[in-house]
Amino acid sequence: MLQSKLYLQPYLLIVPSLAILVAFLLFPLIWNVYLALHDVSLTTILGDWKYVGLKNFASLLQDGDFHTSLYVSLIFVGGSVALQFFIGMIVAVVLNQQIRGSNTFRALFIIPWTVSAVITGFSFKFIFNDSFGIVNYGLGQIGLGPVSWLSDPGTVVWSLIVANMWHGTPFTIIFLTAGLFSINPVVYEAARIDGATKFKSFLYITLPLLRPFVIINLILITMWSVNFFDLILVMTNGGPLFSSTTSSLFMYRQAFEFGLLSKGATVGFILIAMNLVLAYSYMRLLRSQDKSIEIKHS
Amino acid sequence: MILLERSLIYFVIATYLFITLAPLLWVLSTSFKPNSEAISFPPQFLPDAPTMDNYVFVLTDPKLAISLLNSLVVSLASTGLSVAVSALAGYAFARFEFRAKNLLISFILGLFMIPVVINIIPLYIMLANIGLLNSLIALVLTFQILIIPLNIFLLKNYFETIPKELEEAALIDGCSKLHAFLHVIVPISMPGFLIAAILSFRFSWNEFVLPVVLSNRPDAMVFQVALYQFISLYRIDWGYLTAGINIALVPVVVLMLFFQKKMIRGLTLGAVRG
Repeated sequence: MLQSKLYLQPYLLIVPSLAILVAFLLFPLIWNVYLALHDVSLTTILGDWKYVGLKNFASLLQDGDFHTSLYVSLIFVGGSVALQFFIGMIVAVVLNQQIRGSNTFRALFIIPWTVSAVITGFSFKFIFNDSFGIVNYGLGQIGLGPVSWLSDPGTVVWSLIVANMWHGTPFTIIFLTAGLFSINPVVYEAARIDGATKFKSFLYITLPLLRPFVIINLILITMWSVNFFDLILVMTNGGPLFSSTTSSLFMYRQAFEFGLLSKGATVGFILIAMNLVLAYSYMRLLRSQDKSIEIKHS
Repeated sequence: MILLERSLIYFVIATYLFITLAPLLWVLSTSFKPNSEAISFPPQFLPDAPTMDNYVFVLTDPKLAISLLNSLVVSLASTGLSVAVSALAGYAFARFEFRAKNLLISFILGLFMIPVVINIIPLYIMLANIGLLNSLIALVLTFQILIIPLNIFLLKNYFETIPKELEEAALIDGCSKLHAFLHVIVPISMPGFLIAAILSFRFSWNEFVLPVVLSNRPDAMVFQVALYQFISLYRIDWGYLTAGINIALVPVVVLMLFFQKKMIRGLTLGAVRG
């Protein structure tokens, strides 16, 4: 009796966390498939759900707004990842040179990442306002015309990318800084003695050694941008029309703006597939780099 | 050459510092202006006559004040719950050897990779069917999925840094393992709990997607949602909104700057969640 109780002890300690995670994370994820195969809307939410097979998928594939959302996602994710990575890398490398106050700068630079997406969204909505926004005022001062940052279907996604850059870049800075810390300074010393310029040693020493960090960073910020929609919801609500509606926001709008829960769930299913591909590549790369990262990271 | 390099470095830092701080300072300055001046054009960099009216409005408006209180209650409750259950699990992983250990660790890591956003529709239908929509309890429970996995790994790592001899002494004295956990490990793990608690608070306080879907009735609304629903949906009063932004921002930024170094590592871990 006592033996079996002792044997069960670790499991009992894990049960509370596991129960919550299974109920609110794993079960909904799987149940989403069931919802995608039925017809559930805000009006039938408590009633009987009709089985419709793959009808939701079929109608989604013919939905022009969904096609738009895939295209918007592509630009939003591509632009966000490129900007965040490029700027994050430059700032991380610059901070890694021996400069006074680099810790203070790091602390300040991380602030945008600690504030919520809602706050970021509102702040940039204010800054990018067509009529009284400070960005247009600045442009006017140097003789450039006002730009319709958030109401022109052609520019709106880029305004969102800038806001997302502000919010998300600190993560890349910190993640790559951790990577740069892991490189032994002796290798730079050796390269310097051999006559390599700073630029050359960055290209031939830093980048290859940083590779595992770079890959993981890129996958994480990609996944993050694919799923991120609260910022967009606050800034533009996906508009004008669907011109700034990414696929994840499309899922939200179908379900909670138009009440088509099953249609939303079907989009969710497609998003799950995208995430699985990203997560799988992440896990694989993480496993192959596991040892080196673990040591460097701690 | 050195001079050129130095100036380039400081140019990059100054530019990025400006990009980082300018939006925040602009919002801060606006929050002290009356509503009419907030949207004046050309913009006024500093308020003519600084006023606290916007802050007074946000803090005394019944709906907003309730939402602020709700945010505080939900964040503290979900922090408490997640640190408690994660501590138990983290302890099991740090100190016990059992058959499914590695499997369970990978399982929780795998769950950690699921983006919460994808779950909003099933969660909404689920909670509608058990009558828990628009309740703070639903928020406390669903917020757990944002933070439990992170806390388990943080606390597991923390417990592993504590020498085993400490508990062994207690066990020899006849304590049970659980007793040793409560009376030996818990008291000396306070720094670890503090970090986990601050991170949990930050995630709960900032969360918007789950509450905007699961709880948008005025009495059960959290502050981030209230900013979106009351101040901005129809006509934006930028003075009020910027004051609200700063009120929402203060707790996390203060905690962050205060515990900077330790937070960064935890947040980097937590970023998987995004």
